[in-house]
Amino acid sequence: MNSVLQMTVNGRPRADVVADNMLLVDYLREVCGLTGTKIGCDGGECGACTILADGGARLSCLTLAHSCAGQVIETVEGQATRGELSAVQSSFHEKLGSQCGYCTPGMIMTSESLLRTNTNPTEDEIREALGGNICRCTGYIKIIESVQAAAEIINASREAAE
Amino acid sequence: MTDELQHPRDSVTPNDPQPDPSPDPERKVRSVGERLPLIDGPDKVTGRAKYAGDLAQDALVGRILHGRYSHAEIVSIDTTEAAALPGVVCVLTGEDTTQPYGILPIAMLEYPLANGRVRYRGEPVAAVAAIDAATAAKAISLIKVEYNELPAYYTAEEARAPDAVQLHESRAGNQERDVHFELGDTEAEFANSDLVVEESYQCAEVNQVHMEPNAAVAEFDPIRQHLTIWPSTQVPFYGHLIFARCLGLEKGQVRVIKPFVGGGFGARTETLHHEVICAHLAKATGSTVRLTTSREETFITHRGRPETQVNLKMGMNKDGKLTGLASEVVQRGGGYPSYGIVTILYAGTLMYGIYDIPAVKYDGYRILTNTPPCGAFRGHGTVNVRFAIENLMDRMSEELGLDPFEVRRKNLLVTPTYTANDIMVNSYGLPECLDWVQKESNWDERIKNLAPNKGLGMACAHYVSGAAKPVHWTGEPHAVVNLKLDFDGAITALTGAADIGQGSSTMVVQCVAETLNLDASQIKLMANDSDHTPKDNGSYSSRVTYMVGNAALDAARSMRQILAEAAATLLDAKSEDIEFDGTLFRVAGSQDPGIEYMDVVVEALKDEGTITAKGTFSTPVSAQGGRKFRGSAVGPTMGFSYSAEVVEITVDPDTSQVTVDNIWIAHDLGFALNPLSCEGQIQGSAWMGMGQALSEETRYHNGLLISGNMLDYRVPTMVESPPMDIKMVESIDPNGPYGAKEAGEGSLPSFIPALANAVRMATGVRMTETPITPDRLHEARARYEREQANNVAAE
Amino acid sequence: MEVLPEFKLHRPGTLAEALKIRGSLDEARYISGGTDLLANIRRGLTPTENLIELSGLSELQRFEADADGLHIGAAVTLATIGNDPAIKQDYAVLAEAANAVAGATHRAVATIGGNLCLDTRCLFYNQSQWWRDSNDGCMKYEGEICHVVPTSKRCYAAYSGDTAPALLVLNAEIEIAGPDGSRRVPLDDLFNDDGIDYLTLAPGEMVTMVHLPAASKSKTASSYTKLRIRDSIDFPLAGVAVRVTQENGKVTALDAAVTGTNSTPIRVTGCDAFVGLEFDEEQGQKFAKLVQKQTSPVQTTTTKPQYRRRAVTAMSKTLTQNLLQALSA
Repeated sequence: MNSVLQMTVNGRPRADVVADNMLLVDYLREVCGLTGTKIGCDGGECGACTILADGGARLSCLTLAHSCAGQVIETVEGQATRGELSAVQSSFHEKLGSQCGYCTPGMIMTSESLLRTNTNPTEDEIREALGGNICRCTGYIKIIESVQAAAEIINASREAAE
Repeated sequence: MTDELQHPRDSVTPNDPQPDPSPDPERKVRSVGERLPLIDGPDKVTGRAKYAGDLAQDALVGRILHGRYSHAEIVSIDTTEAAALPGVVCVLTGEDTTQPYGILPIAMLEYPLANGRVRYRGEPVAAVAAIDAATAAKAISLIKVEYNELPAYYTAEEARAPDAVQLHESRAGNQERDVHFELGDTEAEFANSDLVVEESYQCAEVNQVHMEPNAAVAEFDPIRQHLTIWPSTQVPFYGHLIFARCLGLEKGQVRVIKPFVGGGFGARTETLHHEVICAHLAKATGSTVRLTTSREETFITHRGRPETQVNLKMGMNKDGKLTGLASEVVQRGGGYPSYGIVTILYAGTLMYGIYDIPAVKYDGYRILTNTPPCGAFRGHGTVNVRFAIENLMDRMSEELGLDPFEVRRKNLLVTPTYTANDIMVNSYGLPECLDWVQKESNWDERIKNLAPNKGLGMACAHYVSGAAKPVHWTGEPHAVVNLKLDFDGAITALTGAADIGQGSSTMVVQCVAETLNLDASQIKLMANDSDHTPKDNGSYSSRVTYMVGNAALDAARSMRQILAEAAATLLDAKSEDIEFDGTLFRVAGSQDPGIEYMDVVVEALKDEGTITAKGTFSTPVSAQGGRKFRGSAVGPTMGFSYSAEVVEITVDPDTSQVTVDNIWIAHDLGFALNPLSCEGQIQGSAWMGMGQALSEETRYHNGLLISGNMLDYRVPTMVESPPMDIKMVESIDPNGPYGAKEAGEGSLPSFIPALANAVRMATGVRMTETPITPDRLHEARARYEREQANNVAAE
Repeated sequence: MEVLPEFKLHRPGTLAEALKIRGSLDEARYISGGTDLLANIRRGLTPTENLIELSGLSELQRFEADADGLHIGAAVTLATIGNDPAIKQDYAVLAEAANAVAGATHRAVATIGGNLCLDTRCLFYNQSQWWRDSNDGCMKYEGEICHVVPTSKRCYAAYSGDTAPALLVLNAEIEIAGPDGSRRVPLDDLFNDDGIDYLTLAPGEMVTMVHLPAASKSKTASSYTKLRIRDSIDFPLAGVAVRVTQENGKVTALDAAVTGTNSTPIRVTGCDAFVGLEFDEEQGQKFAKLVQKQTSPVQTTTTKPQYRRRAVTAMSKTLTQNLLQALSA
């Protein structure tokens, strides 16, 4: 069963003919060509596919594309603006929150979602928010440091703006 | 290059002062020793980085049919219906993939698609290429396979039984390899020891669970008869050989490009069936095929650490001095050889190189069983034996009333030296590692004030910086790096070293930049395209920093000489008098205004054009080990890393769940070329050790992998993962690039026994099994408490 | 790309519309957060030709308190429940149980209704199609025998929802809607001790609402503890919820419920025996015995069942003691 699916992906309105049984992750990767969103497991066990739907972190591998009709979807490809990495992206790069990079898009999107609602997360809050995202390289320490560094950047730029 | 190396046997005595290869701290531009973010980091954080499964979204889709029996003859395969399905482009079976392959030239027993017989549940039996995933899946379901079941063996013991059916004709007794050596007289040493203890250890099989499931894209050009393949691999070069071999192509008809790779940890240090199948599908269709696999398929492809039994006998004197060590190791290898021979050899030879033990005996058995093939996993060969040794040392220290740190100190090597099995040991930072973790963990005080249910444990480990002898012995150098300098002044480093997230590309750039006195941002890097980059054996056994790093240094020195000569021409001076401060070339000590870098480049290119400078690294014969026993070539290395860890835990009295509260690690990595990246390696490896120690294990039901998902195979999450205090001990290896050696493996094996030793302190129970899951510990505690009660009753 | 079986996705705007669609179909499944159902569908489990999405129904989003108590729509997410200050204050056990489910990203979409109706789980069931085919299926799906208890005539798949025991000790009632109207029943009545028919819902019925009685005026404490290997993602190997009230050092009410050990959440019976008593070590032991007798895990997980039983027993006692201690303090 195919029908037209409309949503906004990384700021661009889209309308695509999409099957009812298509997962959001497959829609993003295969229809939109946004392969930054990764598949690491057979469904909901690793968090690599996390994207933002209306600002909230979602597992795109356990979400039907059509369930997101009308929503604003953001992927890792949409995070850098005007050639500048987002605070989360630059922190993951600078602090080595990313080694092999495969869990990174999911980690970045989950962190982004956390920091949009809580710019001063405690270490425990970071651990809890990212608890569903598995990384096999880092032992998580530098990921936590990356999120903390991103929070600092965000808070500093807010203060500067005020 | 080779003549600059130093070896204890031919040039160094313990008292010789070592040259200081550390970079000059006065320099303006520094590249090594700096916390440099990875050069490919921006690609990874923006989603630009393309992994194999991200490529060629419009390609044909490949899919594999997996056999459903553990051990069976394939009577027939009927692909008629599948082949007739609209949208199916080709269907292959074992009849189409008749060339066997394997990572070890002496153990090529595996076929891309089973050749008449399956030997583990899930072995590939057929494959299809179709226009889309749904068609491919449908086609797979239409293939009919008739099997004739054979007896299957799920443990080493069953497979070794005298009447067991042989899995492979050439492997009598289902033994892949047995290894035996005795150096010194262990029985005589035991007879004269104050304490001799025997114990058995059982370690469950574990899987790497690299985050990227296995994938490949292959493109075949039928006109040129040429294959281009993008596999998720740590060893593109070995793949190159195997693709050519299996497809019946000349090596020159193959191009291997390694895309971004989402980890490996050893699983991808050999070419895996999905890569070869994808290549076959591409050739059969004359087209481009993308083959991505599920997490379950990736689990079943396996190549993890084998289920291992270690029987140890160890002698110790009252002062803590080890007298002798006898070890029998049995590994359940799975249905095919993989790296098995190397694993069972490492398990023996790596008893050496860390402590001074007068007599060592080893009996190793690598067994073929009807389970997925095991391979090389971070800490290859040493992990389970190190768990046993450090665990038993702790027990014996306790029985003799000795401090575990003092016992380690009592057995330190005097370096530089050669071990009894002829392994060269140069830099040796273990003493400093021990001092640091003891002090920083506040061990002496902490141990006196432990709250109930808390425990503290320590252990040590070591690991090689690359095998001194390569898997394929060709006489070529271990590593080659080329540098290209062209009209634009840019220097591009070309390397075959496979960056799989460990940061090898960044390391090459740093070594080149440092040697040339340029900023790292001025060096470009191209890696892993066999049409363009020099051959490299790949990323395994922690060989890359040491070997490729040295080759990069060698190349950069040549390039530096070329530039110096051009500057000398312009300055009318001798090239050896030229110095470069990162901006200007001038005669050393002179007041002349200097010449810009670009002007020197223009001069260098005059009459020459594009310049290529090459660097190589070869290991000297004196580092390659002796011939005291069959297989003694496995183990020798240019340098060992050393690790000491202290682990603090809490055990829940109700659930026996172990929580790791703190970890202190000191890791002797020679020199931290990139402290940021080295920390990441040490943290990641200790944490991976925690997974094996506490929660990770594969489980089978009649050979069927029950834990083939990330719920039942429990990789630790961020919530329960502990903080760590890390010290990078810099012993400055005399031959490593700027003194560097292994950083990414040695802190895995030390974690597991340190944790087990902490469990003993917290609960009284000395665990001899891994993982120490709550149910295992609960049972062991109940047993222990019963024994204690009986002992009290007996008294 | 993952190949899902073909189905039609219906996205009704109202409950009435959802029920009407359901009434017009021979077969359909309701989907809300999808974190359990889609994971199963991806493995070829719970096949269906029609999915009716409930997350858009405003009736199921109701989340309000009145004199009767707290009313939580079935599509309210676990994240909302776990982070709600009033629930944390008055129904702590529910917030804790909601926060113990899977990982934060799951909880952002997973709903209370979905968690209550979570499919039962077993090592031999929650596997891929290839895996189950290679093992001749199982009693629960596409097979004959129960691989956990091969002689059994019933399925032993384990009920694994975290929030059910919490809601049981809070004496929750649920509202069920179906093509033939709606009804309100104690939560206890939703469950059935059978791995296959683990819910009492008739075809086409759905849970629409959870009602919690108004928070007790007396000194009450409640909490949930979950036995799991990892502190995130994992389903419960066992989980226990306890609610106690105490006056003058004596228990005045004690409710306990357990999940993860049987095919149904277990409301521990016999807890009245502790009313009027001081919950000392002896009573603690007796309470533990009660839990032990009423829970019977089998090998539905890789973790040994004997252990799960012993651990949940010990956890129940400690949890109750800690709650009473907190009340006394």
